[in-house]
Formats: sequence, structure tokens, C-alpha cells
Amino acid sequence: MNYAKHEHHDFAGASAQALTDPPLQAALARLTDILMAGNRRSYAALADSSALRDHAKRIKEHALAHLDRYLEELEQTVTKRGGKVHWAATAEDARQIVVNIARQAGCKKAVKSKSMTSEEIHLNPALEKAGVEVTETDFGEFIIQIAGERPSHLVAPAVHHTRESIARVMSHHLQESLPDDARSLAMTGRRVLREKFYQADLGITGANFVVAQTGTIVLVTNEGNGRLTTTCPRVHVAIAGIEKVIPRFSDLPVFLKLLARGATGQTLSVYTTIITGARQPGEMDGPEEFHLVLLDNGRSKILGSPFRESLQCIRCGACLNACPVYRRIGGHAYGGVYSGPIGSILTPLYDSVSLNPDLPHASSLCGACQAACPVKINIPHMLIGLRQMQHRYKPARLEDLAYAAWKEVLRRPWLYRLSLRFAKVFLRLFAQDGWLRRLPGPGSGWTQVRDFPAPAKRTFRDRWKELNS
Amino acid sequence: MTTREAFLQRVRQAVVEGNRLTAAPPMPERGRTGYQGAGADPVPRFCQELRNAGGVAHEAKSSEHARAIVRELVSTKSARKLLLSRGGIVERLELPRLLRDMGSEVLIADALPASTKDAFFQADLGISNVAYLVAETGTVVVATSAITPPSPLGKGVEGEGRRVGADPRSISLLPPVHIAVAQRNQILPDLFDLFDLFSPIGAKPQFPPSCLTLITGPSKTGDIELKLVTGVHGPGEVHVVICD
Repeated sequence: MNYAKHEHHDFAGASAQALTDPPLQAALARLTDILMAGNRRSYAALADSSALRDHAKRIKEHALAHLDRYLEELEQTVTKRGGKVHWAATAEDARQIVVNIARQAGCKKAVKSKSMTSEEIHLNPALEKAGVEVTETDFGEFIIQIAGERPSHLVAPAVHHTRESIARVMSHHLQESLPDDARSLAMTGRRVLREKFYQADLGITGANFVVAQTGTIVLVTNEGNGRLTTTCPRVHVAIAGIEKVIPRFSDLPVFLKLLARGATGQTLSVYTTIITGARQPGEMDGPEEFHLVLLDNGRSKILGSPFRESLQCIRCGACLNACPVYRRIGGHAYGGVYSGPIGSILTPLYDSVSLNPDLPHASSLCGACQAACPVKINIPHMLIGLRQMQHRYKPARLEDLAYAAWKEVLRRPWLYRLSLRFAKVFLRLFAQDGWLRRLPGPGSGWTQVRDFPAPAKRTFRDRWKELNS
Repeated sequence: MTTREAFLQRVRQAVVEGNRLTAAPPMPERGRTGYQGAGADPVPRFCQELRNAGGVAHEAKSSEHARAIVRELVSTKSARKLLLSRGGIVERLELPRLLRDMGSEVLIADALPASTKDAFFQADLGISNVAYLVAETGTVVVATSAITPPSPLGKGVEGEGRRVGADPRSISLLPPVHIAVAQRNQILPDLFDLFDLFSPIGAKPQFPPSCLTLITGPSKTGDIELKLVTGVHGPGEVHVVICD
């Protein structure tokens, strides 16, 4: 599975490869079916879920519309509780800040709780170069790390692995022969990672939410590695995109009620860890230092653009599970850190619209993503916006010509009728048993993956005329 | 211009530009939207939700019954090294003495020196107090410092013993089994009720404890072919003993 590793890659090729990988197809079908069923069931069981989702959206809209103010408030509250805020304009800045924190505190062994933001800034290689050993502690992320791959789903990073391949990867890493049943693999993971937690002096996390009013960060996990990462090491660094900030502590439960329900169908994830500063006097565990790295890395550009709504994403993965494209090709085919419908927006915006030409088209615009989204982000609308942008950057002359010609045809009924007749005769030349299986030239793209019904012998217009005569 | 100033300046400008293009609503008020509640008696709802999440609820009819439940759990788990919270219901039920009499090694977590890290990692079972329980979700709320909520709900809890709700993070995290002991009047119907304790309308919001943990069932992973395995990092078993 070498399509796991490259950023600017061949989307069509990677998708085609994913489609011919039967274990991956089975895993994706199972994962997305289970999670989507949970999403629908739990939204249905939650009284006023639609109104609550609207409310959550308005909180995010409000927070983003006053983000400068909330960031300053956040800096004050974090500082008041003995934490330190760091401002990272770029991924490079963020890496440098974390490396410096590790250096100054003399940290040599880091444990990490699953964080998409740290994936985004490619933190691990920078830390390792600085002599800090980094261990991913979410079980799925741990597998991905020792296999040298990237996560393929927002909440199930190792979904492309089978239990046999996990046993192989772990056996190789630990130099011992492990049985391939789920329970003993997980318990081996516990043993190995518990040792890492015992030794670690630096804990690195992301943040699901950041509260301006109280300087609080929130981590949501099912395994408990987020708790261990913020309990055992003496230094805690949280890295959060600026869009994670919400105004008030009492806004948190609005999102907590929606996040797990949207992601997996749980009423709440197993552990919600709500951290406000470092260990306080008299407490007997928890980190002595708390650092919050606020990351821009292109977010402010999006904040001031028509794509601001994409910053409302709470990373639940519901749009991936709902998407007919993701459900077949999986996360790696998208080539970026973020996959699925939301990834098709975020990767071009954070990275480059021109270097990711296929992503805005990796959607049928069916709207299933928006229907599943806890904050009802209008993903199809933004995908169309990106397509428009692409067109502005790189006009397609032939396509423009074709559309201009089609416009002229549509304006002249006689010409339209004539062209239909011509098309019918032309297309029927390629028909076999009533189906078009292979078209020449530009039409070949259509018939490459689907058959087209051949035009009927008599057009609808002819039959209509006859019926009315 | 400092890094911080340049950073904030970029955000300020983006806020102004973006606000011209899209919705910039005032702070929305929640009202009763999304409030689920838990009916007349929150205990059955709590127990049901905890079971759904894979935890075990025990309703104790008396202090003696609660003690019997804990004793039974400790002996069936063959737990030797126990980690207990200081104060609260743990102490009121005299669990430290009870468990020491059974021959267990009991460590009371308080302001212990750093050398106790090993003891924390080696414990077989942790018994904690709780700050609250949430019926809507079957959640145990553990706090690292006492919560003094300006609400009548808090009073009954706060009046008892000292530092109720001050539990170290490790007790409910490191051992493979976690027993939480609570009183009926610590149950809040809805998740909103918990968060509203810290920022009641009209009052000045207070800082939450350095760590407030919401625990909903045992530690879970589905990373291996979506087969649910409990106890991968946190406790694989969560028991909640509810006393009258």
C-alpha cells in the first residue's frame, strides 16, 4: 500500500488502486456502515437535535466573526492559570516552538495523543531530529507510526489494516511473535505503551475545543491515551488551530452532545478531559507546565475568504462516513492529512488549490456530507466554489468553447432538435444490446467506469408529437 | 511588530474582511434547546446509560450494603494493591479500614511524594469519589479540586467531609479496574447542568478545576477491525456504587 505516503499524488491512480483492494473495500464498508448507522440513530434519539446543531453552528459563526477578541481573551485566561500561549503563524513556526519547549524543559521522551493538527504540521520528524523520541499512543496511530504510514480516517486511523496485518506490524516492531486476535494485540499495546507513559517527560496533544472564557482545552478520546498523555509527563504541550476557540465554558456541552453522536453514535465519548492550566498547588499528579500553541498556518486566510464556513469543522468524521466517494476509495487516496469531503476542501485551501486539482471534483455533490455534519457545513457549496476558483486560475479553453457552443444551441430550438437527431444517430453507432460500453475521444472518460444506455430509436419529442396528434 | 502582534493583526484583518462576506451573528443564547433531562428520578436513567456504555451500576440500599458491594468487587478481582481517594464517601464508608482488614495493600492518594509514581502504576484497582454523575449520558465526573458551585445542588455534597470532588487523575486512570462511589444527590439530569455550574447566568464565571474528567464507561478501542476491545489504556472495568 504505497499510496499512503505522498502529498501531491495521482488521485485517480490511488483511487483505482483502492478500488481493487478487497480487504480495504470490506473494511471501509463495515466502518462507514456502522458509524453512519450510529450517526442517524443518535441524532434521531436526541430531542431537538436539528435545533441544537443550528445552535452549535451559530456559536461557531459568532466565535469566528469575533476571533481576534476571543484569542486575546484566551491568552489572558491561560496566562492567569499559569499556562503559556505561543503564537505559530506557520507549520514551521509551530515545529520550532515545540522543539524549543522540549529543549528548555530538557525533555527527551514524548508521548502523543492523536492530533490531526500535529499531523498537519509534520511535528514528529522535527522532534526526532532534535533528539526527542516520539511515541503515538492512540492504538490506531501507534500502528500507523510503526508501519510508517498516515492515518486513513479521522477517527479510525488504521481502518485500512486487518488484524493479521496489525499482528505482523507489531510482531516486527517488538521482535516477538504475536497472536492475531484483537484482545491480545490490544493488551500488548497497553503493556508497551504503558511503559512509554511511565518514561515520558513530554505530553503532546491537540485540542478538540478551546474555551476563551476560562483558558480551557478539551480532549475527547475513547481509549484514555489523552488522559495518560496529560497526567504522566511533567510538561504538556497542546497544539490547536485558532478555529477551535469557542467563547464560553457553557458552550462546550452543546458540542460535546453532538460530537460523539455524529462521529460514532455514542452519547459521549468514553473520556472527555477538560484541562484548565497545569497542576495546581496541593494536587498530586498532572503536568507542572502547560503550553498552548495556537496555529494559523493558512487559517486566517480562510477566515477572511468565502470559505470561512469550513473553519466550523469539529473533526468528527461524519462526512467521510456519509460520502459515497470516501466509502469506496478510503482516506489515503485523497493524499492529504484530512480526507473525505471536508478534506477535499481543507487540503486545497491549506495547501494549494492548483496542486490539488482533483479533490474538489471527488464528490457527486449529493449533499450526504452536509446532512450528516453536526454543524451542517455546506460542503457541496464550497466544493463548487473551489471548482470556480480552479477555473479562474486555469481556464479550460476547450471546455469553455464547448459550453459556449452548447449555449448557442440551447437558444435555438431548431438547432437543438437537429443536434438531438444527429447525436442519436451518432451514438447508436457505438451501441451494443442497447448499451454504450465504450465511447471514443472525450466520451471515453464517461464509459471508463460506467455503461450508458443507448438513445432510444425514437426521441421523446417524436413520441410526444404523435400522442398529441 | 512582535510575532504575537503580527499574528493578531492578520486575524483582525481577516475577521473584518470575512464579516463582509458571511454571517456574523451575536452570541446565541441556548435557552432550553437540546436539554434532555432525565425524568422524575434520574437514578434509573443513569444506570441504564452507564450499562449502555459498558459500565456496571450498583445501587446500595445502605452504607453496609455499599461496603459489601465494594468488598465483593475487590475480592472477585483478586486486587491486592488498591489506590483510594482521600475523604468524601470513600472515607465515610470507612473503606480504607475495611479493605486493609481484608488483607489488601491500601494506598491513600493525598499529597504524596513523587516516589509514589511506581505505586500508582502498579495498583490493581482504584476507588474514587466523584464530583457528580450525569444521568443523560451515564457519566462519572471526577475533578482534581473541590467544586464549590453556587447552586443548591452542590450544598448537600459540599457540606459532607472535606474536599469532596478532589480526586487525583491517576486513581480513575492507571489501575485496570475503577470503582466510583457516589451519593444519589450527586446525580445531575443533563450534561448542560454540569457546565452551567461554572458559569451561571448573571454570575461571574469561575475557573474549573485544573482537570475535570468525564468518564463514560470503560476504556474502548475499535482500531482492530472494529472489534470492540475494552481496557486498552484506561480501566477495562468501571463500577459505580450509588449510596442513598
